[in-house]
Amino acid sequence: MIDGSMDHMSRILRQIYESILVGDHTLVRDQVRQALAESLDPETILNEGMIAAMKEVGERFEDGSCYIPDMLIAARAMQAGLEVLKPALVFAKVKPLGKVVVGTIKGDIHDIGKNLVCMMLEGAGFEVIDLGVDVAPEEYLAAIREHNPDLVGISALLTTTMQNMKTAVEAIHATAQDRRVKVIVGGAPVTEDFARRIGADGYATDANKAVNLAKTLIQ
Amino acid sequence: MGSDPQVEYQKRLKRYVTAMYNEVPDRIPLRIFAEEFAAKYCGYTNYEAAVNYELQFDINRRFAVETGIDAIQTNSVVNWFGMQKALGWEGITFPGIGLPVDSVNQWSEPTTEQAAFLKAVEYDLFIEDPTGFLVNLWLPRFTRHIEPAGRPVTFEHNMSLINGILAYDRFFTTWGAKTAELIQAGIVPAVAAVLKAPLDILGDKLRGYINLVYDLNERREKIIAACEALMPHLFNLVAGGADPEGNIPSIIWMHRGCVPFISHKDFREIYWPTLKPIIEELWNRGSQVIFYAEGNWDHHLESFAELPEKSIIFHCDKTDIFRAHKILGQKFCLSGGIPNELLALGTPDEVKAACKRVIDGVAREGGYIMDASALIMNDARIENVRALIDFTLEYGVYNQSGAGSASLDEIKKRPRSVSIDNPFDSKDPKRKPGVCIPWEEKRAELPKIVGDEELTRKTWEEVDSMGYRFLWVNLTW
Repeated sequence: MIDGSMDHMSRILRQIYESILVGDHTLVRDQVRQALAESLDPETILNEGMIAAMKEVGERFEDGSCYIPDMLIAARAMQAGLEVLKPALVFAKVKPLGKVVVGTIKGDIHDIGKNLVCMMLEGAGFEVIDLGVDVAPEEYLAAIREHNPDLVGISALLTTTMQNMKTAVEAIHATAQDRRVKVIVGGAPVTEDFARRIGADGYATDANKAVNLAKTLIQ
Repeated sequence: MGSDPQVEYQKRLKRYVTAMYNEVPDRIPLRIFAEEFAAKYCGYTNYEAAVNYELQFDINRRFAVETGIDAIQTNSVVNWFGMQKALGWEGITFPGIGLPVDSVNQWSEPTTEQAAFLKAVEYDLFIEDPTGFLVNLWLPRFTRHIEPAGRPVTFEHNMSLINGILAYDRFFTTWGAKTAELIQAGIVPAVAAVLKAPLDILGDKLRGYINLVYDLNERREKIIAACEALMPHLFNLVAGGADPEGNIPSIIWMHRGCVPFISHKDFREIYWPTLKPIIEELWNRGSQVIFYAEGNWDHHLESFAELPEKSIIFHCDKTDIFRAHKILGQKFCLSGGIPNELLALGTPDEVKAACKRVIDGVAREGGYIMDASALIMNDARIENVRALIDFTLEYGVYNQSGAGSASLDEIKKRPRSVSIDNPFDSKDPKRKPGVCIPWEEKRAELPKIVGDEELTRKTWEEVDSMGYRFLWVNLTW
């Protein structure tokens, strides 16, 4: 009896996992609903069904066997499942992996890269506060005061706005002098060397690496 | 400079063409795509250049003349507030108008289905009659005040069209005059017509990248059909604007057609099969195309090597220029490869070292044009751009030019087809490329023509083709 129930649970989790991998958002929504109806633990659904799938997507992206479209459709499926799961997670007092404030830097209104990072962070179990685009240093500071995050993520697509990242990183570090709030940066023109020069705590070349970086920095 | 600008022009044109035909010129040509940098160089803000269309031309000419480069695009930023906001384009934000004065022109695209300019359920409508779709649905969605077919028009609707089209005409009439001024000043206009890949147009201007990604998964066959429906029109635009002499290349701004923005399969099955035939047909007619490959195209160099020898000039942004040289260098000229980050944050010595590395690595046997990796914006330091230019003027001289005293035709040495057919036209299109309202339709509403009807037909078709061009230039901008 117990074995049978475990098999059933594994099967539903496996289905959720597979549906996220192929990006079937409608199916994921139904499967999460079904899992909750069958009293599966919300945290188990999240970790073993959904986050595990997004981790697999990230690893496939790293080894070149999947692409940004695969990440985007998987992230959309993950979010569809999360919409159903969220109330149960709140009720069960399941804590996120960490909290991240994210925004595209002042003067820059590009958001596709930033949005992808937000989706992948959520897919990994982080709570994400998305400040949008054209975010001034004082807006990051206000968000830090309001949300008390573990990390701040700053993105830029234009070389002309990269300099504004420096101002923001310095302002954040000056305010949070104990360096509890760490700042990570990324975007097409940003390099590791530039990130180091402006005093950022971390740099990632793509959304999946940003997730791994975030996990490392909150440990 | 010193000598007669017309003598200089001929020398520069020959240098440019020789390199583009992958031969050895007397010196590596300098073709600099200075965007907002030209404003900074001349002491203007980006805001001033965004609102003053004449300034956009003049600052590029001044920068080119003063620094002694060979070729430059006629206009620096190619986005004029006056025209684009008269038409009510929603997708562009200008420096000084919603952004700091020294920010740059920035584009946004639809990120939700609701915001898409082509809805997922409208693919068939678009595929059946792309031009009709642009008039009836796309232009109204792309602009603030223009109303879709069937909806009551407003004062703002009428004025958007009147002001917008007059401003468009002013901008492009000026373009012709300023091109002539550039040539008179001894500088070669770097590009002629503009091409975009069908899949890029679908992503950037119709669906938005996010929606396109979902479509690749959910309605792939519609994407393929839509790209095929775009081909005759995109070919019509670029072939119509190409240099009739075949000296000045057209350009394709390549956006998100590479891995990882799309998969290898997407590239192989959609992006490349709907672009490659256009490039081949242009080459049949004697037109080269600059592949302005934004981002990193390392994964696709072998595909580009399939193209006819000399048909393209491959521009390297993040693509590994040394690998590109290895794979493409025997067949095509390369350009670019000097990182913009270095121009912004490096020193003149670092810039010179980067130029030397690239010249030594890819330009020993000609077939290379010096330029930055991407459009140069106002974060580049003037001394760094000068270092790039001055170093190339000195170090980029070849001991022996393969071109010698050969004429341009001898350098190009190839017959050109003079076909005016559009090989991508479907057998029975609802509306042919180049046409919005066919003559037969217009003729039916006119009274009896007592003179030579052929004259009236020609006039009508010429006028109608201007409307067609206006629409499609708006889409492909």
